Amino acid sequence: MSIVEVKELRKQYDPPKGVLAVDGVSFDIAEGEIFSLLGPNGAGKSTTISMLSCLLRPTGGDATVAGHSVVSNAQAVKETIGVVPQDIALYPDMSARENLVFWGRMYGLSGDTLKQRVDEVLELITLVDRQKDRIEKFSGGMKRRVNIGVALLHKPRVLYLDEPTVGIDPQSRRSILDGILALRDQGMTILYTTHYMAEAQELSDRIGIVDQGKMIALGTHEELVKIVGQAARVTARVDHSLEAMAERWREVAGVAQVTIEEDEAVLLTDDANEVLPRLFEAAAAAGSRITEIDVREPNLEMVFLHLTGRALRE
Amino acid sequence: MMKILAIAWKDLRSTARNVPALVMMLAAPLALAALLGFAFGGGGGFDIAATKVVVANLDGGGAGAGQTAGAAIQTVLTGEGLEDVLETSTRSSAAAARQAVDDGEAAVAVIVPEDFSAVVYGGDPAARSQVEIYENPTREIGGSIVEGVVGQVLADINGARAAAAGAVALAAAGSDPIDPRVLAARAAEQFSHDGGVSAGLQIGQRAPRVGATEEEVSVTGLILAGMMVFFMFFGAANVARTILTEDRDGTLPRLFTTPTRHGTIIGGKFVSTFLTVLAQAIVLLVAGRLIFGIQWGPLDAVVLLTVVTAGVAGGLALLVIAFTRNAAQAGAIGAGVYLVLALLGGNFTGTAQTGTTYAFIQRFTPNGWLLHGWDTAMRGGGAADLRWQLLVPLGFAVAFFFFAVLRMRRRFA
Repeated sequence: MSIVEVKELRKQYDPPKGVLAVDGVSFDIAEGEIFSLLGPNGAGKSTTISMLSCLLRPTGGDATVAGHSVVSNAQAVKETIGVVPQDIALYPDMSARENLVFWGRMYGLSGDTLKQRVDEVLELITLVDRQKDRIEKFSGGMKRRVNIGVALLHKPRVLYLDEPTVGIDPQSRRSILDGILALRDQGMTILYTTHYMAEAQELSDRIGIVDQGKMIALGTHEELVKIVGQAARVTARVDHSLEAMAERWREVAGVAQVTIEEDEAVLLTDDANEVLPRLFEAAAAAGSRITEIDVREPNLEMVFLHLTGRALRE
Repeated sequence: MMKILAIAWKDLRSTARNVPALVMMLAAPLALAALLGFAFGGGGGFDIAATKVVVANLDGGGAGAGQTAGAAIQTVLTGEGLEDVLETSTRSSAAAARQAVDDGEAAVAVIVPEDFSAVVYGGDPAARSQVEIYENPTREIGGSIVEGVVGQVLADINGARAAAAGAVALAAAGSDPIDPRVLAARAAEQFSHDGGVSAGLQIGQRAPRVGATEEEVSVTGLILAGMMVFFMFFGAANVARTILTEDRDGTLPRLFTTPTRHGTIIGGKFVSTFLTVLAQAIVLLVAGRLIFGIQWGPLDAVVLLTVVTAGVAGGLALLVIAFTRNAAQAGAIGAGVYLVLALLGGNFTGTAQTGTTYAFIQRFTPNGWLLHGWDTAMRGGGAADLRWQLLVPLGFAVAFFFFAVLRMRRRFA
């Protein structure tokens, strides 16, 4: 059963001539599912989340959260969701506990319930011993944890996380990803946006790939990878004449596609083991030498490349 | 309501931790008031503008008199030599003259009674009459001038009456022809002994707004009132600006994702702004009393003026924030708005002794009305005497808040 249903959602800033940030996006999220929106910066992920958070009013389409329309029943939607914004949205001159108490009140908590939930969230984000320290004294990872904790205070049915791991150390990132998986195991529905392919792949039950405001692919990881026909991705550098070399590689048997990105050639093939010797032979025949080569099995990066002709830069 | 208080409390704590802002809000107005107060030596120093006087000459005339005695008073008030300090016009009744003072159209009303000429030209030396001077106590210099001029006229008439009475008495005493020199000497003696304003013709003073016990007001008090109102505007702006800094830092958008209504969030911001400047005013009022010995006036007037001033400051600050994009812009535009208002409203010049045009302009600014109010309170006026100085700024505050909320609802919709 879907708890989030998005239908032809559209957002144009300063219509009719302004930027079309989201262009008819549709998807749904089942209860208890982690759904990721994957795409490069500027693809429309944050705008989509802003509309689903009732922060921006759609210029077209609609979405429901737990049956409540984001257009006509924003208050009910806001009671259902927790939002973790991309940037740290906390009061730096207040302590972690003071922040949680304040935001808890904004979610309508009070008295013993508020105190209990603040204590529980502090445990969850493992900051009990630092609860009285001001946020401005925290590391980036600790701030991120409080930023997430705020959205959990009222036990939302749906949690939106907008690129919550940007700019933090690997250890904190690991901690946050584990925490998200734990929340899913407790039955929480999660909408996650990221431009990190590996995160989307690891966390998500289903993934929607967005680019330039449109949903260009949607499905499980396995379903998406099938789009590129299980092709492997081979990246190669040569000592000179990359473009001439790429032309020769296009004629090699088993090579499906060759593109040039900056100073390297990117090749797609169904069987890398079979093709690799031929690539070296072709290079030798052309008087070039391969200086670096990398083989990757099919992944979301390749799906994006296949669909857009551009790389999804991490 | 709990959410409004939570937002307000959060902002108040934040302001209390902002030392530079506190210095700006509290130390700066005190320091400026002290400096300017010392510069003026605690006394005057402002130019005197022409005082508006209305005359209601009700004098019905007396037997055998050509010009009425009342007309003589009117002639003196409009005569040469006084046109630079008195701007005189007439009213047809005592009520109309008093109303002109009540409405602020004139500073002083001179009301000549109906029996004035009858007493002056009548044969009864014991008859008495009283010219009423009805004055706005905040215009004390203009009032003193009128009082002096009218008093001199009455003293002259009293003297003439005394001289005439002396001559009549001398004539009645004997049957022989009177030596003109003896007659002149007797008249002069009577003039000097029984003339003056303490004789039959007197001035009756009325000061309806604050009663007869007008207080002396120190220049430092007037200056600090101006500085206080001016810096309360800045103090309010400082707190209200957190709306824009929170928008920039992401906490305001995050607030909008919680089940908290926009009106609640803006209301919380207004309450924090209001309470901050209220606290600022209380500190400045207490400091002014303790450091400079300023008598701010009756408690009811001071409380109401403080609350209304805080309301105006809060409403105006929100209005400026509603129409600016970021904190830097709000700071620049806000400072300009507050400075212009201060210049027009009289924060730097006071409001008591200002020219006609300037006094007219001051009526279009909330701070002009507030400063009139503080001035009146310091001269002893109570809340009942300040109704317009309270109601008009309150109207400004409500209008500011209304338009600010209207704009913010559209902006953050």
